[in-house]
Amino acid sequence: MSDSEYITLVSSDGFEFVVLREAALVSPTIKGMLRSQFSEAQTGRCTFPEISAIVLEQVVEYFHYWYRNRDKEDVPDMDIPVELCLELLMAANYFNLDAKPAVRDAV
Amino acid sequence: MSRQSRLQRRIMGPQSALTDFLASHNISATQIRIDADARRRAAENQQDDADEASDAQAPAAPAPATQAASASPTPAGRPRRAAATGSQDEEARKREQKSIEKIKASKKVQKRKRGLESEDEDDLASELLQRSAPLPGQQDNCENCGTRFTVTAYSRNGPDGGLLCTPCSRDLDKDEAAKRKRKKRASGGAVGRRRQLQSNILDGTYALGAKSLMTLCIETLAKNIDLAEDFGDLPAPIIDKIARKLSKHRLLDARTLSLFLQPTTEEVHVYDGAKLSADDFIRIFQTVPGLRKLKVRNGVHFKDQVMDYLLSRHIELEDLYLHGANLISESKWKEYLQHKGGSLRSLRIYFTDKHVGDEVLATLPTTCPSLTRLKISHNQQVTGAGIAALGDVKTLQHLSLDLRNELHSDVYVDLLSKIGANLQTLSLTRVNRADNTVLDAIHTHCRSLVKLRITESEEMTDAGFVRLFKDWANPGLAIVDLQKCRQLDSARPRENPDGIGLCSNGFRALMAHSGKTLQELNVHGCRHIGRAALEDVFKPDGETLYEAMVHLEISFCEEVTDFVVGCVFRSCPNLRELNVFGCMKVKDVRVPRGKILVGVPNARGMVIEGDDDEQ
Repeated sequence: MSDSEYITLVSSDGFEFVVLREAALVSPTIKGMLRSQFSEAQTGRCTFPEISAIVLEQVVEYFHYWYRNRDKEDVPDMDIPVELCLELLMAANYFNLDAKPAVRDAV
Repeated sequence: MSRQSRLQRRIMGPQSALTDFLASHNISATQIRIDADARRRAAENQQDDADEASDAQAPAAPAPATQAASASPTPAGRPRRAAATGSQDEEARKREQKSIEKIKASKKVQKRKRGLESEDEDDLASELLQRSAPLPGQQDNCENCGTRFTVTAYSRNGPDGGLLCTPCSRDLDKDEAAKRKRKKRASGGAVGRRRQLQSNILDGTYALGAKSLMTLCIETLAKNIDLAEDFGDLPAPIIDKIARKLSKHRLLDARTLSLFLQPTTEEVHVYDGAKLSADDFIRIFQTVPGLRKLKVRNGVHFKDQVMDYLLSRHIELEDLYLHGANLISESKWKEYLQHKGGSLRSLRIYFTDKHVGDEVLATLPTTCPSLTRLKISHNQQVTGAGIAALGDVKTLQHLSLDLRNELHSDVYVDLLSKIGANLQTLSLTRVNRADNTVLDAIHTHCRSLVKLRITESEEMTDAGFVRLFKDWANPGLAIVDLQKCRQLDSARPRENPDGIGLCSNGFRALMAHSGKTLQELNVHGCRHIGRAALEDVFKPDGETLYEAMVHLEISFCEEVTDFVVGCVFRSCPNLRELNVFGCMKVKDVRVPRGKILVGVPNARGMVIEGDDDEQ
């Protein structure tokens, strides 16, 4: 399971999101979870008890949006729902998605 | 004839000016009215007929199948004769046939036919006829809200083909405008995309791949800041980022300022205070009692009144950054420093013309015992006497001066001999008359410099720079800015017999001393750095590596060639940005992926390695 191409992210209300591992690695937080000796690394299953499904869905969407565009120039911006903006900002902070994502590192 | 005679006899009813005017042009208003009435009656009859026979007769009924096509507005192409089809069957049918032919031939239909191949030609034409029912000036019921209104040439068709009243048309316009906006891309077309790319490069925001989620969120937030009521418990660095973004759009005003004023915070950064009044600044001190760091840019209304309030509070600022606060009087500055100077560690004052002068600086040694950072920028008042007083501020570690008055080198030499040993930052911007004695003083006294800036000196010579960097006991510098230290002689620009400015040897000495630690180097406009020196320094032997270098500015250095640029990219593996404005010998150079070359003197701009086959 731990070598699988996909990992599972679980929200506080129990929704599960199956995400491409490489895409999720854009987040240093998740990277840390998966490279450690914690159970997440063995099972490929990360639980986020503080993040609701609605927000996690957006985060997952961002992972794939980032992954699709990782080598492109002039990427169109992803739409952020205005009402989720502040919560998503907190989530971005939690997932350490603030600096410019290092393209080479993650791949 | 008869009309004229009647006019003369003045036998007539009340008539309008228009009727009079028409009559003078031989047009009878009465005739027009009679004709119009007849047409209207005919139209009504037809509509009644249509209502009765709506099920049976296909072309007369507003068939739902026509909805798709009806969204496009067609008032201009509305055939006038259509409404006249009434009870006079034979003639009317003929006429309809005729107009159907006409419509079929028209470009619009041809165009549409290409789009909707399945649609029957006749249906299409009769449908166009159908929808043209009431003429401008006549009354109709709005398809949407049902109100009676007067049809004009600008009346729009509703989704079912009927006409809409003015308010409903306006709503429709709004919807369509929104839709149209949606479709527009961030940067359209090949040219637009390239322009956007170049723009990003110049902004320094160029990056491969997508923006970070946080950036996206902050941008969305800044766009919708009027919806936000409270930032909640966002961490301080994020709030700072939001503040910067808001200022970029000039959105910081009295209302949005409140978002940043949390009673528990210790820092308030106002990046653009142009819209804030004195009361708003006072509000900062009212709501944030524990304030320690205050930064205000464009704080025009940060004036005596605000200073008075600050003096009356128990706020002890450690870091004060004021930009453009030109209304604070000299006496108020002195008063502030006397009362609150004790806690100040950092004082930065930008853009003041009269009120921050020698006397204010003269109080610093006694009033600010723990001042480590001082920056006086764009100042027209300070002279040598004020700078001399700084020699007694023994705690200074960062000193930055950008004065409009030209000072003699001796002032700087004296200052450096007193406080040079502790200085980590020395920034002397626009010092035209500073000469080699300043460089020698730096060499003798400074031992902990990290950042050095000396710009626009016309006196310093290459030999002076060599003396500074050769065997200098100071560890390697991280940031060096020696821009525009060059010889200015418009008569003989190429010759430089005295070696004025930073030239080849000075540049070699600089890189030998600090090359390994330099992160940012700016030698903008140092025209006399020769090609041999550049090739020496950035030797392509694979061993000369400047791993710390991130930002290099070599604009207007004449001898920079394609080869030199290539060498720079090879010898600085972590370089992010290289500026080569005005280096006319840079012609066709491939930039490694992820790095930025700004200012290439051709229309194509930066060419990234590996993109050649796209040409």
